[in-house]
Amino acid sequence: MIEVTNISKSLPDGRKVLDGISFTVRKGEFVGILGASGAGKTLTLRCLNGLLRPDTGSVIVQDADGGRWDLCTIAKKRLRQLRRRIGIVFQGYHLVQRLSALDNVLLGRLGQVSTFRSLFYGFTEREREEALAALNKVNIGNLAGARVNRLSGGEMQRVAIARAIFQSPALMLADEPLSNLDPSNAKVIMKLIRPLADEMPVIGVFHQPEMTARYCTRVIAIKQGRVIYDGDPKLTNQQLVDIYGAELEQLENAPVLLPEKPTIIL
Amino acid sequence: MTMNANSYRLPLLRRYGRVLLPVAGLLLLAQGAAWVCGARWGLLFNGLAGSTRFLAQLLSPEWSAFGDLVQPALNSVFIALVGTITGTAFSLVFALLAASNLAPPWIRNSVRALLGMERALPEIVILLFLVAAFGLGPFAGVLALTIGCVGMLGKLIADAIEEIDPVLIESIQAVGATRAQIVVFGVIQPILPSIISFALFRFEYSIRLSVVLGAVGAGGIGFELYRAFVMLDYGRAASALVVTLILVFLSERLSGWLRKKIKTVGGVL
Repeated sequence: MIEVTNISKSLPDGRKVLDGISFTVRKGEFVGILGASGAGKTLTLRCLNGLLRPDTGSVIVQDADGGRWDLCTIAKKRLRQLRRRIGIVFQGYHLVQRLSALDNVLLGRLGQVSTFRSLFYGFTEREREEALAALNKVNIGNLAGARVNRLSGGEMQRVAIARAIFQSPALMLADEPLSNLDPSNAKVIMKLIRPLADEMPVIGVFHQPEMTARYCTRVIAIKQGRVIYDGDPKLTNQQLVDIYGAELEQLENAPVLLPEKPTIIL
Repeated sequence: MTMNANSYRLPLLRRYGRVLLPVAGLLLLAQGAAWVCGARWGLLFNGLAGSTRFLAQLLSPEWSAFGDLVQPALNSVFIALVGTITGTAFSLVFALLAASNLAPPWIRNSVRALLGMERALPEIVILLFLVAAFGLGPFAGVLALTIGCVGMLGKLIADAIEEIDPVLIESIQAVGATRAQIVVFGVIQPILPSIISFALFRFEYSIRLSVVLGAVGAGGIGFELYRAFVMLDYGRAASALVVTLILVFLSERLSGWLRKKIKTVGGVL
């Protein structure tokens, strides 16, 4: 479970980018965060694993022993320990291009092995098997030995998901995991992410309302740093206009809001 | 007035003046500078006459000297090799400190200033200092090449580090990696081919430098070349020159070939 309470963040020039965001996500939920560009979606997500510290508010996560930790005030060392169990999939994969798919998955446990052991790729046989199992889970076990830079975009994103799964996370985050993918690959990725929610809370930032409507269990919409909607993933056209702003009104009759069509809103 | 293609023709002076006037100015300047520093055309012709004899001697190398020159040639290669390897290792350390995405600004800027100073000093000047401190010999040569290498590769590698995708570093950080793990997997791993390619390039350069430094006191083939010239033993000098040329040619081809391999295959590393 992750509890976000009233987090705010201002830029050095005083502009508020996050303005009192609160929500709680439990196991079994697959939450999609929607919002226009610059609304604060990605910033919110970055607060959820401590890459960004809000000025005020708290982000409480539970560790494996049931201890509750506030990511906003936690000591650096403890944060590192918590991050081992927070899987995150970034926009545009961000894998180490020169390593094989399997090695990239193994990197997911860097925080769990000693520095010395990891520098020599001293992963145990068991860890390798688990990493391969993670690749099999996303259906690319056959590409385990391939160098990542030879893979397609969809395959790379699956390696990134396998890496997050291999962390055996207590919380899964995804930052625009579909942004570089074509619609059919995007669906494949959503189908892989969705079942993870049975084991842990899953929170993703998305640009495609039709995808979140289909696969998420709940949608949170952010506008100008505030939560303006939190609830059923199926949004009405009026709600979408509220989220994405006035420009959309001109596109009201465009097919962009209907499911199954590629999005051109953003 | 009717416009045709000729209407757009510029007057000759306007057309060529922009180029010719500066060139004429520069020629005048060069002539003046030559007069001031004492470079005369007459000297060239006098010298040419004298050097034909000398050139003839250079064209007949002393074949028996080649045996003696193998050892100094190898010395030069080793000086360059050791200087490049230690230099690359140190460069990496300095580069990590000189990259804005890894080090705080004050460290980054002071390390960059230091590297800039190293680059500003020619290796020969560095060697003169080192010879004063450590005496003549290959050790001073290796040190001079190491320092020169750090000045150049330190900056190149630091620039490569600064171009790494910040999210890649973040993605390693996000799994709870330690600082050392972030540096190895997020920084060095992605730019390893560049580092090796820079090092090979620097090795090629070090070979040429080691010849020059040899003449100033680092030993090796450069010293043999210098000694033969000073002793007017032009046959031997010619042999040393041939050995030097072979050395430089081979190192250039080798490093070029390896660098190409790294770029195209990529799978080696």
